[in-house]
Amino acid sequence: MDPTFRAGFDAALETAINAALRYDPGTRARLAKLDGRALALDITVPPVPLVLCIEGDQVSVRHYWDGEISTRLRGSAIAMLRLLRDGDATPAGLDVTVTGSSALLAELQSILQDLDIDWEAPLARLLGDVPAHTIGSALRTAGQWLRDSIEQAPQAAAEAVSEEWRLTPPRAQFEAFVEDVAELALATDRLEARVALLREKLAARGGN
Amino acid sequence: MKDRKTTHFGYQEVPVDEKAGRVADVFHSVAARYDVMNDLMSGGIHRLWKRFTIEMSGARAGQTILDIAGGTGDLTARFSRIVGPEGQVVLADINESMLKVGRDRLLDRGIAGNVVPVQADAQYLPFPDNTFDCITIAFGLRNVTDKDLALRSMLRVLKPGGRLLVLEFSKPESKLLEKVYDQYSFRLLPFMGKLVANDADSYRYLAESIRMHPDQETLKQMMADAGFVDCEYHNMTGGVVALHKGIKP
Repeated sequence: MDPTFRAGFDAALETAINAALRYDPGTRARLAKLDGRALALDITVPPVPLVLCIEGDQVSVRHYWDGEISTRLRGSAIAMLRLLRDGDATPAGLDVTVTGSSALLAELQSILQDLDIDWEAPLARLLGDVPAHTIGSALRTAGQWLRDSIEQAPQAAAEAVSEEWRLTPPRAQFEAFVEDVAELALATDRLEARVALLREKLAARGGN
Repeated sequence: MKDRKTTHFGYQEVPVDEKAGRVADVFHSVAARYDVMNDLMSGGIHRLWKRFTIEMSGARAGQTILDIAGGTGDLTARFSRIVGPEGQVVLADINESMLKVGRDRLLDRGIAGNVVPVQADAQYLPFPDNTFDCITIAFGLRNVTDKDLALRSMLRVLKPGGRLLVLEFSKPESKLLEKVYDQYSFRLLPFMGKLVANDADSYRYLAESIRMHPDQETLKQMMADAGFVDCEYHNMTGGVVALHKGIKP
């Protein structure tokens, strides 16, 4: 990739991260304690390796970094995002390889889970407090609805496929069918055994 | 009568001792609107070229950096933050007007304390041997009268293991891009210079000086000849610009 495009990508990502951090002073203060640490992300899908360097209370995104790497993660972009955002996620469960200090990873996980960006502040500066609060409330409601929808999506999709569209049988019906099949298999086995026994008896009588 | 040695000033041949003065006139003329013109001429891409240069510099807290032809202080501002209060950045430019604009701009942005502006000729750097961890020269080398002399001067003031980064216009890799680039440089660039800075000649000189600058391989060899090792270059934007890197052994 031409270094110009790569530099553009890094610059855009860095601007987005630092713009978001501007509205969360608590996170900035916690980041400042990690000043000088570097987190390397060897992203395999898509293949975009990058290094996040903490400089003061800001994050710098780099392609090249000759300095010391505190922690290196290797895995897909989605897995790394889940690992950093979800406190219960483990590297092994997400197929992410970790080398170096796991303390930095734990600290970053904790910081990202507590991330609370006050989006209303920049809006208030542009539009005033009341419109900003109205928009903020609407966005929060929409965000919550979206999160709930995403959480419920797998269950809702399964119900739609089986109950609404009848593409697959409902779970209970399927389980009953499986039980019936298992019982039939057992009954067939028993019948087979009985037939085998009768054949043996008949063979024994014929022999006499 | 003894023949005077000449060198190029854009497409013109001028006596060697006149080039520095003529380049100085160009930059006195464009200094005030240098940043606006840079953004306009490159579509803002010069910031990405400089960003890549900073990354490749490997600069660290506490280091001493020399930003030659630092002009309006773009690289110096970033280096100042990286090296921190323990480090130092020397903003050097041969041109007084450019240096003044750069110094004022840095002060206006609150960048001070670890930045020292110095008016200096790249050919005769006024620093002791083995002073700097890293030297950058961005869009400056092509204006230097004797580039070999300047490269040797930079080698002298670098610490062993220190790196030189030369960011400069170069030769596009594709013929098609070269044609488009020529049309842009010789038709649009002087026109924009006239429109924004009321100075078409200076911007025509910039375009001509870019064409007269050594191509990627030639500059790499010049750096090796000056004594740098592990010389390499990275083409950017299809070779319109190249970043050369060399290490002092």
